[in-house]
Amino acid sequence: MNATVNQFIGLVLLAVFAGCATAPRVYESELDRTPLTTRIEPQDIRRTVEKMAESLIADPGVLDATKGERPVLDIEPMKNRSQMIVDMQSITDSVRMRLIRSRLFRFVDRSTSGADITIMDEQAQLGLTDRRKAIRPGQQSAAQMYLTGSLTDMVTRVGRVTDHYYKFTMILKDLRTGEIVWTDEQEIRKVANRPML
Amino acid sequence: MKLLSIVFSVTLAGILFTGCRTSAGTSVVMNHETGGSVIYEGNTRLHNSVSVTAVTYDKVPAGLNRVNIQLSSLIQRSQHLQYRIAWFNAEGMEIDADTRTYRPLVLQGLDTVTVTGVANSPAAVTSRLRLREWRAAR
Repeated sequence: MNATVNQFIGLVLLAVFAGCATAPRVYESELDRTPLTTRIEPQDIRRTVEKMAESLIADPGVLDATKGERPVLDIEPMKNRSQMIVDMQSITDSVRMRLIRSRLFRFVDRSTSGADITIMDEQAQLGLTDRRKAIRPGQQSAAQMYLTGSLTDMVTRVGRVTDHYYKFTMILKDLRTGEIVWTDEQEIRKVANRPML
Repeated sequence: MKLLSIVFSVTLAGILFTGCRTSAGTSVVMNHETGGSVIYEGNTRLHNSVSVTAVTYDKVPAGLNRVNIQLSSLIQRSQHLQYRIAWFNAEGMEIDADTRTYRPLVLQGLDTVTVTGVANSPAAVTSRLRLREWRAAR
């Protein structure tokens, strides 16, 4: 009987230590996975972007401000007032992508204005482009509103418990009137219990 | 002998409980053209703890479809859930599947909450809510 018990324990130990192979186990995870830390994680960004885009699409104030026309928007990168390092430009880029794909908004992009001028100069001066078809400066759309926002956070630590609260706030500001025509926020709260050992 | 039976029982319990983690959940398919909705329940535990009590439709000012789904808890304790609302075109194909996320939902004991989804395209005519247990996500 002892031999059987030993064999069984041996098999269990073999199965357990088989998982201790040197190569890391890598697998494709779903994008909306469970949180690993109390930090801002990709799924938090995705949820925030989805919420903000839906909120902006559903809000009547934007269409009122442009009298029913598809508004032309620009983006001012969000401000990071939290203790975390987050690529804020990436968040506004994702919101812009969603809004453009909804076909309800148009966007101009100041970040590529330098490239625009270079291409137009080349079309005008190199002699490679048909002069009648060359794009001349001064015809681009003007942004009527711009999208911006901020991220703030608050950390509370009590014993082995860490409570991390984040708040994303976004606003859409009318450039002509200076009024905020839409705003929304996304709150995220994560709690971690540090193990005793 | 006693040790063997303990080890066997623990192993069996481990296998059984691992099998309990299922990603199947409750789905509500809503047709915004006919106004009909169908509920599919693929998880017995979720079926016994959450109920879809109302579904309403409207359009946002920009003309896109919007759906509101009311969920009610059937149990006393809080539940950590996730939901995702996907949108489909007239041919039944999902629109921008990658951009639709699972959002967290904490449903308090015997409470009722309403979740809302706005279509991501004017072509969206059908929506589907997928509700799953939080631990179903990896």
